[in-house]
Amino acid sequence: MNLKKILKIAVAACLAFIVTTIPLLSAGCAGEPSNGDKVKVGFSICYTGVAAEKGRPMGDGILDCMKYVNEELNGVDGHQIEVIWRDNQYDAAKAGTIISELMNKGCLFFTTNSSKMMGASMEIANRAEFAGFSVFSAPALTHPPQHIYGQMPDYGDDWAAFVRYYVDNIWQGSGKPKMALHLLNNPTGYGVRDAARALADEMGIDIVAIEEHSATTISETESLTRIKSLNPDILYISSTPQPTSIIIKNAVELGMYPGITIACGHASLTSALIDLGGASAEGVYGVFPTVNWDDDVPAMAKMTEYCQNYHPDDYGNMDYITTWAEGLIVAEILRLSIENVGIDALTPQAVEEYGFKKLDNFDVGGLHGAVNYNPGDNRLSKSVRVFQIQNGEIMPISGWVEAPLIKYEDFEWFGK
Amino acid sequence: MTELLQFVITGVTVGMVYSLIALGFVLIWKSSGVANLALGQLVLISSWFTYGMLVQVGLPLWLGFPAVILFALALGWIIEKFALRPLIAQPILSLITVTLGVAFFIEGATSFIWPKSVAALPRFFPQATVHIGTAVVSQEYLWAAVISFILFVLLSLYFKYHRMGIVMRAAADDQLAVQACGIPVTKIFSMAWMLACILAAIGGILMSSIGGITFGLTETGLKAFSVVILGGLDSFLGAIVAGPIIGLAESLGGGYLTPLTWPGVREIIPYITIIIVMFLKPYGLFGEARIERI
Amino acid sequence: MNVDLPAGTRNYTYAQDMAIFRTRTHWGLFLGLLAAMLTMPLYLGNYWLSVANLIGITIIAATGLNILTGYCGQLSIGHAGFIAVGAYTSAILTNRFELPFLVGLICAGIAAGAIGIIFGLPSMRVKGFYLAISTIAAQFIIIWVINHWNSMTGGFTGIRVPPASIGGVSFVSQASQFYLIVATTAMSVFFARNLARTKAGRAFIAIRDNDLAAEVMGINLFRYKLTAFFIGCFLAGIAGSLLAHRIGYINAENFTLMGSILYIAMIIIGGAGTTIGPIFGVIFIQMLQQGITLISPTLESIFALPAGFTAGIGPMVLGLIIVLFLILEPRGLAHRWTLFKTSCRLWPFSY
Repeated sequence: MNLKKILKIAVAACLAFIVTTIPLLSAGCAGEPSNGDKVKVGFSICYTGVAAEKGRPMGDGILDCMKYVNEELNGVDGHQIEVIWRDNQYDAAKAGTIISELMNKGCLFFTTNSSKMMGASMEIANRAEFAGFSVFSAPALTHPPQHIYGQMPDYGDDWAAFVRYYVDNIWQGSGKPKMALHLLNNPTGYGVRDAARALADEMGIDIVAIEEHSATTISETESLTRIKSLNPDILYISSTPQPTSIIIKNAVELGMYPGITIACGHASLTSALIDLGGASAEGVYGVFPTVNWDDDVPAMAKMTEYCQNYHPDDYGNMDYITTWAEGLIVAEILRLSIENVGIDALTPQAVEEYGFKKLDNFDVGGLHGAVNYNPGDNRLSKSVRVFQIQNGEIMPISGWVEAPLIKYEDFEWFGK
Repeated sequence: MTELLQFVITGVTVGMVYSLIALGFVLIWKSSGVANLALGQLVLISSWFTYGMLVQVGLPLWLGFPAVILFALALGWIIEKFALRPLIAQPILSLITVTLGVAFFIEGATSFIWPKSVAALPRFFPQATVHIGTAVVSQEYLWAAVISFILFVLLSLYFKYHRMGIVMRAAADDQLAVQACGIPVTKIFSMAWMLACILAAIGGILMSSIGGITFGLTETGLKAFSVVILGGLDSFLGAIVAGPIIGLAESLGGGYLTPLTWPGVREIIPYITIIIVMFLKPYGLFGEARIERI
Repeated sequence: MNVDLPAGTRNYTYAQDMAIFRTRTHWGLFLGLLAAMLTMPLYLGNYWLSVANLIGITIIAATGLNILTGYCGQLSIGHAGFIAVGAYTSAILTNRFELPFLVGLICAGIAAGAIGIIFGLPSMRVKGFYLAISTIAAQFIIIWVINHWNSMTGGFTGIRVPPASIGGVSFVSQASQFYLIVATTAMSVFFARNLARTKAGRAFIAIRDNDLAAEVMGINLFRYKLTAFFIGCFLAGIAGSLLAHRIGYINAENFTLMGSILYIAMIIIGGAGTTIGPIFGVIFIQMLQQGITLISPTLESIFALPAGFTAGIGPMVLGLIIVLFLILEPRGLAHRWTLFKTSCRLWPFSY
């Protein structure tokens, strides 16, 4: 009696087990490598979750661009790109499982949008020598250089490029200009602190104060009072639009601005800054790594056409441009690798060696600074443009300014 | 010296804004004994609703504000009716957790309806700054301070003299006894949540007219928690006094400790304060110490 | 006790009565499960293995929270902060001081436990909501210190963590990590199961049900509450260490207040105060999240959804599930499981 029962339950358990694992099996079986006509590329996109406001237009941009490459250009050298994309919901744990899935599916390389998501996936990729790049990046991703690349300059590069421009074009006084930094309490803000630590002396600038704020601040009068007493010439803010607008407004109230120069990094410089800051934001400088909509560059026409056909809501959103450019770079990397090693010999390692590392002044349709690989520098594009808010609009006032390479890994204080 | 004055004035005015949000928390605690962790989310959704009415629909102010108040009433009623009422007489752990569930839901609903993450409300208050001695303060904060003080007075009077207010206090004290007196407890809870949502809406409008509407509004709820812990969970007076204290601690602590420690020390001062308060005065400055029996 | 046993099974010794696996059926099921678990890497792909690893780590942390909140009744909304302490301790020891992984793992648990005791001290004076707020405060203070203690933690930049390795065997592939994580998870769950039946475990339950009554009965509140904090946070630290070695690069953004709240949701949905509950809760929530991840690209391509649809649906569903579980199934999935087991036992004569 008892034995029968054991058997019955054992059988039931086995059945239940098989039933539950079949879907897992089918979904999880080892992927075959890219072969024949298609080349697989993985995309981990923060389409939903707390960063959806940026992630969504970015996701739209890359998917539209892949559609464009596949339909109008007939893929890369006649080989269609198979897009495998997953929504990481801006969740670090999920990004870690997605990267495993992308490797498992036989992708040749992968991309992601944000530095946080790349941070959560990069060591898994590095350990497997699976190359990838991140649209927005942070120093920790590319220093020391391994298998992860950054598409656009990071927030530290923003600062370095701006300082270069400032010293050459804006600074009128004598001696070293005195700069105060106001940083958001996350890597966006602190990337600037690291860059300033590494380069301030060399670039001839004096950092007099480093203040920090949170994303939810409602008053920065207190920190600005302290900055004011130090009489800086320039206040550099690395943050997002809302805190930036608060800081600028409080600076106006305290009578600091106009008077000193205020500049901000690319995460702040959006139309939301003008909405929130109103008249206070007038005259503020900022840097941004891409061109504007409607600028006269080669890739603009097709991008505008696709955007208006498929995602008209995204028209005017700069984030869409960043990932359209990402798509063009993906195609270029694949083109180079196919040209160098042939379609049959493509492996993740070959793509990194003969795709990523052969990038040579690819102009990305003029959408952002040229893409280049220099040994030891895993930043793909290194240039930003300087903008200024004039009459309620963000106007470009410079050409491409290149940010110098900072060898963070040589400094003792940089995280190992 | 000029710095000190500026720090004090900034701290007090910012602290009054915290008080305003904290009053909504105290209201619910005082009448139903529920800890509302969805406070920040209520602030968030009512700010977005205000944005929807004033900017997206384009209503004038005199029509937009009543619409927001109506919305807040409805929101309070719905939350109480569908999330809290089924849990009456459940352990405190369930009651706290259910407000977390409500918080998640509201957060999702907000990004569902308003997928933008940042928006600006029209400016209700004059932009000119006010000079007090050598210090400056923007009018928005002053108005917020005045409004939270008025609300404090109204609420205190209401709870002291109005029949409904007295009943609310009684209900918090002993639900069973109140029910035995023939008073519908559920109606009281419903009422408390509706009032609390109105407070959150007013707080939301003031906060977002200062700093714009962002996801970060949810964290203002956390600041309010420090205020109520310091002031006492069941005391309006506590909320109105503790707000400026927390604001001052932030401002003075930030002002004089930052050079000695790491930047951003201001952010954790409220949290350190409340942990210390818990040891010294577990029921806050003005909270009622409850005597427990088995 | 006999109610839990199939008809005809009797206990003749105390050892029998106390055993976790009491009948041959139990042993059979256990061995079957063990065999299934150990062979899983053979037929699961890397992706599902990495999900399984994530679930395993989360179960360890949730088990810790369950001891603290489910058994001892001390609500903690700062669990992610304690996980961060473990993760960073392990990262610093193995990266900066180049100590072996096992040392890092144990120290991670101890460090998180110690920090847990410090922030558990207010539980002497306050309880319920006050304590919940003090644990939120703990989370913010911990994360702030991690972000600013540059020389140790790498600050906002983050810190790299070498792969786990024991005696020269390095756990790099998902499959090898899987064995490491399954073993640790099994030990944690087994420990939690047994803890609940010791003197301490019973004291925890007494404190949860009524701390005043417990004190009157002679239970040392100070000692047992802090013990609960230590054990709960110790497991959080172990989970943090495994997490750090798994992802290989951590910064404080991995440990959010939202994460802490999710842990609460997991044990509530699973059934607080049971051993099996957190396991169900974790699997349920993680599979739900993975499901949304897998489905959303398809949904996007089939339907033209409104812009905020997928952004809002995740938190909305989660919030709804928490509320519904509290209202309809306040004892969680574990209670369902008990009912299911009972009906199985009597099958086909369920009367």
